[in-house]
Amino acid sequence: MQAVFRLHKVTKRYGTREVLNVEELTIPGRKIYAFLGPNGSGKTTLLRIIALLHKNTTGKVEVLGEEVVWSQEQTLRLRRQMAMVTQTSFMFEGTVAANVAYGLRVRGQRGQEVKRRVEEVLDLVGMTSFIKNDTRGLSGGERQKVAIARALAVKPKVLFLDEPTANIDPRSSVEIERYIKIVNEELNTTIIIVTHNLFQARRLADQIHFMWDGKIIESGTSLEMFQSPQDKRTRLFLVGDAVY
Amino acid sequence: MEIIIDGLKQGFQLIWSLDPEILQITLVSLQVSLTALLLAGIMGIPTGAALALKDIRGKRAILNIIYTFMGLPPVLAGLIVYLALTTRGPLGQYQLLFTPTAMIIAQLLLAFPIVAGLTARAVMSQQQEVYDTAVTLGASLRQAAWTIIKESRIGIIAALTTALGRVIAEVGAVMMVGGNIQGSTRVLTTSIVLETRMGNDSRAIAIGIILLAIAFGIIMIINTVEKRSFKYASGIQIT
Repeated sequence: MQAVFRLHKVTKRYGTREVLNVEELTIPGRKIYAFLGPNGSGKTTLLRIIALLHKNTTGKVEVLGEEVVWSQEQTLRLRRQMAMVTQTSFMFEGTVAANVAYGLRVRGQRGQEVKRRVEEVLDLVGMTSFIKNDTRGLSGGERQKVAIARALAVKPKVLFLDEPTANIDPRSSVEIERYIKIVNEELNTTIIIVTHNLFQARRLADQIHFMWDGKIIESGTSLEMFQSPQDKRTRLFLVGDAVY
Repeated sequence: MEIIIDGLKQGFQLIWSLDPEILQITLVSLQVSLTALLLAGIMGIPTGAALALKDIRGKRAILNIIYTFMGLPPVLAGLIVYLALTTRGPLGQYQLLFTPTAMIIAQLLLAFPIVAGLTARAVMSQQQEVYDTAVTLGASLRQAAWTIIKESRIGIIAALTTALGRVIAEVGAVMMVGGNIQGSTRVLTTSIVLETRMGNDSRAIAIGIILLAIAFGIIMIINTVEKRSFKYASGIQIT
């Protein structure tokens, strides 16, 4: 089966500082994959490389079965099969509807088709009543839900979530996690989530990759990682976070 | 004080009576300054945006030159255009000196750096997130750039209004390249100078009021057109 992402000897350097060094990584797809690790462990850098936002310094990256050559045509074509929700969920100036419609409009869709899809995805995240609202008045949780709807509007094969609940209250977090599950199970969307919240990783992820100092030091199912972590650093992180 | 009050009274009377000469001067002023602003917008907004978004060689040096020209003294702009358009100048053959076209060129020279420089700053002040959000939602580079420019529109409108304030109020450049010819290149600012020198205070005040009213009117039109942006701009509530 074709993997959604495949990385071979991928590094990322800023000047002389190496922030990422992944020997091998294969993400088969369809499930929820979490990259877990402390701040500065390279998980967001890795996410941005596979989301085609950052170029890798060395190595080979394959996205949706294609080796990434960073041509404008290929980058656009591949990016259009994926979508991302970031920690701060930036909103363009305007209404919720305009934001959710953005991805559809850049793909040339107009009229009723867009309206229908916007209503559909806002309904999925329980935000239909906000459709005409100005995004400026939204709370953190509401913004995040709109950001998820906006990403889902384009029916992505892969949805990237970068610390999706880092700035929001526990109740909204639970709700957002529920939508993430729905998206994965009902829409068959591959979910790649970056988080330093190990409880969230445990609740959501089928597969966890633990990162430390730019490297993936341990990978396994959620159960394996939490019940019998092999690496000392993973154990330390799990214990430290559990105390917190 | 009396002279000012009398001047104001007579000034309003002149405006009310639609003095044909003042009307003609007003129209020339509007034609020259708005054309210069339009051209500055057409050239300055893409230039500023390109400087902010593209990896152009010598970008910092170009921006420094633009920022320096933002403070270009109008008489110097007038001198540059005068030297270019004079019969012995490189563009002398077109016989543009002492025409409204020469005045438009001079005002364009003043407005362009302001529009380009402030647009570049407005676009550069946008967060990386705008670009990231646009492209991860499937925008092409061109669409993402357009989105960033749209998100910078408050700053771009500020650039246009600043440029308008600069060109409509300047006197040095238009005086040098226009010559203040009655019925042809006389504009509001050069008229104020002339009328004051001739002791016609009321006419000078009348023209001054018109100048202020025009600037206010144009700014109001721009604000109305971009009402939404300004609504956002006042989004910070200080208590």
